[in-house]
Amino acid sequence: MVLNGWEAVFFWVFSVAALVAGLLTIMARNAVHSALFLISSLVSVAALFILLGAEFIAGVQILVYVGGVMVLFLFVIMLVNVGAEERGREPIFNHTAQVTAAVIFGLLLAGGLVYALNQGYKGMQASDRDKIAAITDRREAEQQNMPSAATGTFRITKDTERVGGSLYRYASLPFEIASVLLLVAIIGSVMLARTVKQEASADDVDPEVLKEAIAAEPELAKLESANE
Amino acid sequence: MYGPIVEVILKLVAITVAFTAILMIVAYTVLAERRVLGFIQGRLGPNRVGPFGLLQPFADLLKFILKEDIVPDKSTRFVYFLAPVIAIMCALMTMIVYPFGPNITLPWIGNIQLVIARFDVALLYVLGITSVGVYGIALAGWSSNNKYSLMGGLRSSAQLISYELSLGLSLVGVILMSGTLDLYRIVELQSGYVWGFIPRWNVGPQFLGFIVYLTSAIAETNRVPFDLPEAETELVAGFHTEYSAMKFALFFMAEYVNMLTVSMLATTLFLGGWNGPFVQSFPILGVFYFLIKIIFFLFLYIWLRGTLPRFRFDQLMSFGWKFLLPVAILNIILTATLAFFGVF
Repeated sequence: MVLNGWEAVFFWVFSVAALVAGLLTIMARNAVHSALFLISSLVSVAALFILLGAEFIAGVQILVYVGGVMVLFLFVIMLVNVGAEERGREPIFNHTAQVTAAVIFGLLLAGGLVYALNQGYKGMQASDRDKIAAITDRREAEQQNMPSAATGTFRITKDTERVGGSLYRYASLPFEIASVLLLVAIIGSVMLARTVKQEASADDVDPEVLKEAIAAEPELAKLESANE
Repeated sequence: MYGPIVEVILKLVAITVAFTAILMIVAYTVLAERRVLGFIQGRLGPNRVGPFGLLQPFADLLKFILKEDIVPDKSTRFVYFLAPVIAIMCALMTMIVYPFGPNITLPWIGNIQLVIARFDVALLYVLGITSVGVYGIALAGWSSNNKYSLMGGLRSSAQLISYELSLGLSLVGVILMSGTLDLYRIVELQSGYVWGFIPRWNVGPQFLGFIVYLTSAIAETNRVPFDLPEAETELVAGFHTEYSAMKFALFFMAEYVNMLTVSMLATTLFLGGWNGPFVQSFPILGVFYFLIKIIFFLFLYIWLRGTLPRFRFDQLMSFGWKFLLPVAILNIILTATLAFFGVF
């Protein structure tokens, strides 16, 4: 895809914004500011998804990452980091060795990425040229038949339907595995975070386990009697 | 049909009209709230400025603009300024996707759609933008550098995150029935009648979803009985304790715009949007039906505020997670099963 006109302008604005916000994320002194920069980076990436014509992915990116994950991040930082302001500001660059190592590994990673992307792009161009051309032609033909959006700038696509269809038809097993994995992570984190004391105060613990816990820590008996 | 410049001008006109109309509705919702609450509590309410107090919103606006704007000394300055902007922006941004009426034909201009932007993932867009609105409140609480504000902000974010889940899940039933996220199409699918006289609105088959949506929408907008973030007895004024003058007014407006947004979404998804008698022959009637349905929801909000006491915070959380969420999931399972057997 060759970018021209306003598309190119928006592409450059949002990609530069994403990169700068990403840099500021790791450079900001205040953890809340870091989180805010990460949010702006994620929003810029969502805008890039829209430029690619993937509105569904953009919407999910905003809904899940910006509206869900980052809110929880911010929540935790705000709860934990209340006193940080009063301790005074610490310098960003602590140790020369750390910075040198980070820069070297960063450059290596960037070099590797550029090399891999170049190779992959060339390989794909060589092997799939006909397929890509055929798909592009079909897309364009389909777009002519779609009802136009009210804005008149582009047409109402059926991409969401297509994503849903292929997700549940061809990828339902990986999808289910991913959901089970997430469920295990949630239950695991709750298991790790909840102490016997909290469970006893919510009257939510197995009597056998409680007896052992009281033997180890006599204070729990008070909570138990308070519940009754 | 027209050149691109005419298109852009038409869109700008549409945005201006919609924006003005929405702000006027918001201003008069505030007045209506005070008058109706007065009526419920057996007193008069504001009736001095203009006939029946109709100019009261403008007097309030002037007061907000002319008041001194106090910025706390130890606040995080930039974030403190950013928070009300995020709040009002996220509240207003969702307005562009709601269809106010069917396509109408005007003299000279021709056929126009009464929706500012129509696109594939409109519903997802609404949910996404609404979820970003949490930041306004959370950041306001954090940046004020005041413990009451912080607690208010944290409570509010916890509440919004919890109720957003049930809100999102309660809409899945509607999506399953209509098979699209495009709001205009969802409204179109609700036109017509069952057995000749019952409107084919989603509120019938999606009654559970409607109740769950209505409850979690009230919690999402921080209104009574879920207005814990602003519990005066515990938290002074919650997240906006340190805000004054126009910045406070922006939060205040954001709350009422959010009320309007959730009412519009409820109307669009459950009450058939602009559908009503004779809309097929006189499309312009659709706008009035849409307005009437919104006003019904806004009145419901005010009515609840005049009637119900406030929840306790742990009650609020257990109600959201242990009652609303399972009911929303039950609704999805029921709808999916019925849709699988082709009932809809």
